Amino acid sequence: MKSFENIDVKSVKEAVTTLQRLRQQGKTALVVSGGSELLQLMKDRVATPDYLVNLKSIPGLSYIKEEKGGFRIGALTTLSEIEENRAVQEKLLILSAAAGEAASPQIRNSGTIGGNICQRPFCWYFRSASFTCLRKGGQVCYAVAGDNRFHAILGGGPSYIVHPSDLAPALVALDARVRIAGPSGEKTILLEKFFVLPRVDFKKENILAPDEIVTEIQVPYPKPQSKGFYHKVRERLAWDHAIVSVATVVQSRGEICQDARVVLGGVAPIPWRATKAEAFLRGKRIDEATTEKASEIALEGATPLKDNGYKIALAKSLVQRSVLAAA
Amino acid sequence: MAKDFSVVGKNTPRIDGYERVTGTAQYAGDVQLPGMLYARVLRSPHPHARIVSIDTSKAEKLPGVKAIVHHQNAQVVWSSGGRTAKRYIFNNPVRYVGDPVAAVAAIDRHIAEDALGLIEVQYEKLPHVLDAKEALKPDAPKIYPKGNLSVGDGNLTAPITDEWGDLEKGFKEADRIFEDTYVTKHVNNAQLEPRVSVAKWDAGKLTVWASTQGVSNCRTDLAKDLGLPLSKVRVICKYMGAGFGNKNQCQDIDLMAAVLAKAAGRPVKVEFTREDDFIGMHGRWSSEQHYKVGVKKDGTITAVELDALTNVGAYRKSTGNLSGTDFYQIPNFKKTVNPVHTNTVVAANYRAPAYPQSIFGFASFLDQIAHELGVNPLEMFKRNAIRLYKNKTPFTSNYLEQCIIEGAKRIDWTQKWHKPGAAGGTNKHGIGMALGGYPFRPGLGAATIRVNRDGTAHVLVGVTDIGTGAKTAMAIIASEALGIPLSQIQLTNGDTDVTPYSVGESGSRNTAFTGPAVIAAAQDVRKQIFAVAAAQLKAKPEELDLKEGQVFVRADASRKLPLSKALARSGELIGRATTNPEFKGVEGKSFAAHFSEVEVDITTGHVKVLRYVAAHDSGTIINRLAAESQIKGGVVQGIGMALTEELLIDRPTGMPINPNYRDAKVPTHLEIPEVEVIFIENYDPYGPFGAKVVGEPPITPAVAAVANAIFNATGKRFKELPITPDKILRALYV
Repeated sequence: MKSFENIDVKSVKEAVTTLQRLRQQGKTALVVSGGSELLQLMKDRVATPDYLVNLKSIPGLSYIKEEKGGFRIGALTTLSEIEENRAVQEKLLILSAAAGEAASPQIRNSGTIGGNICQRPFCWYFRSASFTCLRKGGQVCYAVAGDNRFHAILGGGPSYIVHPSDLAPALVALDARVRIAGPSGEKTILLEKFFVLPRVDFKKENILAPDEIVTEIQVPYPKPQSKGFYHKVRERLAWDHAIVSVATVVQSRGEICQDARVVLGGVAPIPWRATKAEAFLRGKRIDEATTEKASEIALEGATPLKDNGYKIALAKSLVQRSVLAAA
Repeated sequence: MAKDFSVVGKNTPRIDGYERVTGTAQYAGDVQLPGMLYARVLRSPHPHARIVSIDTSKAEKLPGVKAIVHHQNAQVVWSSGGRTAKRYIFNNPVRYVGDPVAAVAAIDRHIAEDALGLIEVQYEKLPHVLDAKEALKPDAPKIYPKGNLSVGDGNLTAPITDEWGDLEKGFKEADRIFEDTYVTKHVNNAQLEPRVSVAKWDAGKLTVWASTQGVSNCRTDLAKDLGLPLSKVRVICKYMGAGFGNKNQCQDIDLMAAVLAKAAGRPVKVEFTREDDFIGMHGRWSSEQHYKVGVKKDGTITAVELDALTNVGAYRKSTGNLSGTDFYQIPNFKKTVNPVHTNTVVAANYRAPAYPQSIFGFASFLDQIAHELGVNPLEMFKRNAIRLYKNKTPFTSNYLEQCIIEGAKRIDWTQKWHKPGAAGGTNKHGIGMALGGYPFRPGLGAATIRVNRDGTAHVLVGVTDIGTGAKTAMAIIASEALGIPLSQIQLTNGDTDVTPYSVGESGSRNTAFTGPAVIAAAQDVRKQIFAVAAAQLKAKPEELDLKEGQVFVRADASRKLPLSKALARSGELIGRATTNPEFKGVEGKSFAAHFSEVEVDITTGHVKVLRYVAAHDSGTIINRLAAESQIKGGVVQGIGMALTEELLIDRPTGMPINPNYRDAKVPTHLEIPEVEVIFIENYDPYGPFGAKVVGEPPITPAVAAVANAIFNATGKRFKELPITPDKILRALYV
């Protein structure tokens, strides 16, 4: 690990001004909360910041509150707290499930929701200091010619990472919003708009500027008669990222779907919302045939690399399974 | 049947368990010495390259850097690291991504690591080859002047061959002949404790605190490679966090520590990171196994021919052999195994080096042949279970058939087995089995036992205890042989200046080699005790016995004397033994039959192992608690190798891309069912207290037992490891 200096900040505002000041001084600075992800990147010398701005020293950034129409979750709330929160379990079941499926118990005890949605890719080329890949300022995405069994089948190019977050697909399916603090104050945007495809910018996974930080996630209550389902497939049952995951929310009247959200993880550089499949499901009876058709539509345009074609069949099965389960 | 023992065969907690779980046990990484420096290793980023120049001037100027060594200033041969060609601790050319280029010692870890980045190395890239088959092609890049087939002496030659009977006749007698190829991958030992070595020089004498499986062989290697007499080298390892074969002997890290400590004039601690451990040590050799098998209609094997390639990586540290056919009665046999060099991570000893990958191939193929013949696999394995070693020599004991019968009964084979792929639903049930085991051999052992005046005893043995419970096993054997309660026994281990020779914890040899020496040393000291006690008990020495710390007259147990009284005047008595028993006209083996039940989700390709039964013939069990844990640990590693583990090498660059716990997919508790262990316990006439071996057998059949259950579930035969969801989905849907 490269030596660095840690700065404990006392407020969001101080965090932002500190980041701004360091950037103006030509120093590299990163924010740290749980550290479970960042410390590994630093140990592997993939991230080599001069400074860490420690958000844990800011009081009051860890909370789960219910107020007018939904939940507000502080960015420093740990995955364990979300997984175990009674109200989240009752009202936002897929979020609790997604949090409980992430990483391992130790990591969930330190990892935060803010950190989770801001994770860097777990692509093995990105994670190795030996590969100066496109995303780290190099010329090539090594996944193209290399081992791409876990890489993107949708939304890829020129980089083919998949977004590693378990929580993000669930949050997007729940129409969550994210609050961001920066030099010009705070703003709240739809979480779906937070993530960035590589064709827009292949060096980052989200819209955050270097001196912006995530402060809160807001999740509205699901509409009445809604059910959700989170399904994650991986090689190993703990401490493993999704090969494919699907977060689904279906609002139905009788057997007829009124509205649906189908969001895939592990298949694209961002949480992948299957909007065409959602539109197809609206007004339909949820059964084997419609869900099979919806799964076909969800994977339309999927372009496999040499090793990851199996993900298409897998993703279709999961979409079908999760929509049926959510109906 | 097992004999009656007072200490042997019970559930005995480890004698060093307390200090291990409370953190007071001192591992090599815990050693702190005054003025000690920390070192890090720079490794080659190229799979094959000549080092044109190496410039350390910038690194030397970094404050805190005390010594830098590389191929120009530290040309030390690492003899146990490369046994067919001369290997140095720093080589030029470098032959795989991870080949050490330099090491830096500094006042702290961060400075040492920063200094690595300041060393400027100019490489001239050479063509490289990653695949064993490719490496044997005439136009393949040559890693060694004589080519890529790894030719050496003795058991390190190439090809490795074995042959008996008449192969042609065997195939003629067959009703059917089957041929197929099975492929296995490189997996890392992945032991919890990465290798650490601390070296210190005092007036020409070297002391090394090493995380080694064998203090004696580590000392011998260090002395040889550094040109020192054995008396000038001391190796200490009292606790270690496993090794599974990749920490045996002296490793380059020990030599680097010694060389850096000499250069810096201060003690040096070299620590491997997890990545260093994955790429800089070694894992299990991958293989491509081509079988031709002749069988009768009822499944009886008439002939087996094996042609195989194994990938031993850039340097030959071990045999590269494949021995999975060892558990079957094969009348006519021929094998040709070619160990091949490639520009990849070295592959050498990992728990039962030549077995699990090989048993995966052969037991999968036998399961397939049974299927094609319409024979139940249980019948197939039972019919062909080995009776005579190489169809000729009897075993010291052999209860393989009982393992099969008892294991099958426990898993309820007859009820649960069904036609492959015939189970309904999306979660398909399957059951599978395989046979395994490991050689049991006698050999050189030594022990010293001091019986104190107060009746307590002190056992000195060279064992290291890599997690096997070896210390406890030696103390149990000593207690049983002495007739002194276990609680009265103190044991000192793993220090070449203090403890006698030990073979080291590899090849499941610890109990078999050192156990008899402990018994003999106990007998030696008992004789001395009886000589002293005879007059006090008014009996002849040969009329006396010692049990529970009481010396007594065998014919009249009321005439007795506590040991402390018997020795009150004589003082401490010392028993010694060096033993080296041999087998004549017999061969030794521990045997095992494993059974697994799985569920395969055919929509996700996920395999869940539901149940696992492991039946073992290891002779007398010295410590049931530790032995059961050994069996479970082996099964865990086998399940990992079957389902998830593989070290992946990026083909264009030759770089390992998943050298860590997260991505190399070592199993977690969630992957492992409760493992039910059955010991078919019988007294082996050649083992200490009738014991054979336990350490290596349990990993051997586990991979195949899981693979065969997946076949039974899906009806698809997977011929390449690991059997991951992507492979299962491809087989089912493409």
